[in-house]
Amino acid sequence: MKNTFNILATIILVLSLSATVCAEGWDVPASVKKKQNPYELTKRNISSGKKIFQTTCKSCHGDPGKGNMLPLQPPPTDLGSQNFLVQTDGEIFHKIRTGKGAMPTFEKTLSDESKWMVIAYLRSLDKMKREAVVTKAVVNPEVTDVKIDIDVDSEHKKLIAELTGLKKDGKRVGLEGIELSFLVKRAFGQLDISGEEAYTNEKGQLIVQFPTDLPGDREGQANLLVKITDEDNYGPIEEKRVVSIAVPTNPKNILSERAMWGTRANAPIWIIATYVLGVIGIWGVIFLILFQLFQLSKMRVKSK
Amino acid sequence: MTQKTSDKSRRNFLKSFGVTVGAAGVVSSFSLLGAAKAAAKEPEEMVNLLTADGQLVQVDKNQLRPTVTEPLNELQKRGREGIAGKSFVMVIDLSKCRNARKCMDACQNHHQLRADQHHINVLQMQDSEHTAPYFMPKPCQHCDNPPCTKVCPVDATFKRQDGIVLIDNERCIGCRFCIAACPYSARIFQWTEPKDSEKYKDLTYNIEANVPQKKGTVSKCLFSADRLREDKLPSCVSSCPNGVYYFGDRNEDAVTNGTTGVTVRFSKLIEENAGYTLMKELGTKPRVYYLPPKDRAFKFNGDLLNEENLH
Repeated sequence: MKNTFNILATIILVLSLSATVCAEGWDVPASVKKKQNPYELTKRNISSGKKIFQTTCKSCHGDPGKGNMLPLQPPPTDLGSQNFLVQTDGEIFHKIRTGKGAMPTFEKTLSDESKWMVIAYLRSLDKMKREAVVTKAVVNPEVTDVKIDIDVDSEHKKLIAELTGLKKDGKRVGLEGIELSFLVKRAFGQLDISGEEAYTNEKGQLIVQFPTDLPGDREGQANLLVKITDEDNYGPIEEKRVVSIAVPTNPKNILSERAMWGTRANAPIWIIATYVLGVIGIWGVIFLILFQLFQLSKMRVKSK
Repeated sequence: MTQKTSDKSRRNFLKSFGVTVGAAGVVSSFSLLGAAKAAAKEPEEMVNLLTADGQLVQVDKNQLRPTVTEPLNELQKRGREGIAGKSFVMVIDLSKCRNARKCMDACQNHHQLRADQHHINVLQMQDSEHTAPYFMPKPCQHCDNPPCTKVCPVDATFKRQDGIVLIDNERCIGCRFCIAACPYSARIFQWTEPKDSEKYKDLTYNIEANVPQKKGTVSKCLFSADRLREDKLPSCVSSCPNGVYYFGDRNEDAVTNGTTGVTVRFSKLIEENAGYTLMKELGTKPRVYYLPPKDRAFKFNGDLLNEENLH
């Protein structure tokens, strides 16, 4: 009897202790709790949130809803589960920011904007709030041999990309609702000119305005690369093209002009002239004096 | 013009001196050469070598030759001319810097500098008593109107066509006029034997990296001109963990962030974030632009030695 009582007491003690630990869990201030995600659940915000999630969160939490998190103790939360998503935006934000235990703080490693993007991505998985996402579910037919064709409208500086795939019956159809990236090659990277909402329309087409003031080479050429942004869709598909709609630029060689900072031959003419005249003048005076002295000594010889 | 005069330098003298000494060596090596030729007939020993792309290959030992290092004259010539058609600029986002000092480490590694010598230095700034302190990395500003090249008496420091200001340690006489002229204190002087000078004494001097460093000469930030030739970002830019640096070509109107690899329009970045240059009133026209420390990615503790600020 005493034994049973002891065991019971221990169990109750342990339970109550663990309960308090859990309750202590996250101390989210009420003001933070009320915070709403200032960024809308647009496709772009969600996809940028997904990118951040995959580089910073996935290593521990795994894919949302898949339950493939790291086997830690306590286990990392499945961030796609409804148990997690019942929280307010502010609560999730606070947890990302402060961290606790094995969960590191992202206060400094992620900007506030990035944190909200991640929340936007998680929220897009939320079954309760899904209608908030401004996307339309598009089902493309199953296709093979997916490719991108690029057409250039030189007059209006517009780029028209067409994303098509081969259906099973041999028909080529446009693929709708796929995000494309338009990248222009620069010295150290690719400049993204796709703009917001770069998704193909129902014909599989996407029209992008090429920046009217973007410099190209002497002939106005630039290397363009169009690719599917998310490789999960159809794998790495891209198309390269040299377009001649950039602004022709003739790089100025700064050494072709004379300047104060120019070394030697590049110095301004007045400096070179002043210097040379100065040297000639001073040496001239010295030689003149020496010459006169020489003449003087000659005169003395004569007078003897 | 400059090239002509530099041909008459002490290096030329050394070269002719070397030819005389070398001639003696050639005579004595004839017998060695003969032996090598004889050996070439029958492949005697194969050696395993690892190629640059990671493949293991077998090579006849007789076919091995020492690698050809680029001759000094060629390096000097291309280093003086610069990369045609480029106009390099750097943008430093002060709101991201939190004194990780990785840029300084990478720079000191690249240019064989000791820990107390800085081509780039992260400074703690406070503009006046009631303003917020912030961290500011300060490399050479590579001015478009550089005061330093104006005062050099021996044509050792100069500006190239891609906008980079370099210094030729082979010409430098150590007068330090340029150090006095630079308003940004971007230059350092090698007072003592440089770090690892013994180790690198046989290395061909590279004007685009200032290595090996030379005692009694001036050294400064070079925008990693040797890396730019290979389309790589400067050491400091690519080593920053916090996305502080953007680097690119002004002619292309694009700069690339060294941490995230994101490329943005240079003009837009400067315009939208109120970019500025240091000591604009001096008319030096720097090529390093700063974005003000607004909306910080971190909390400034105002203490350089504080743990929070050191990583």
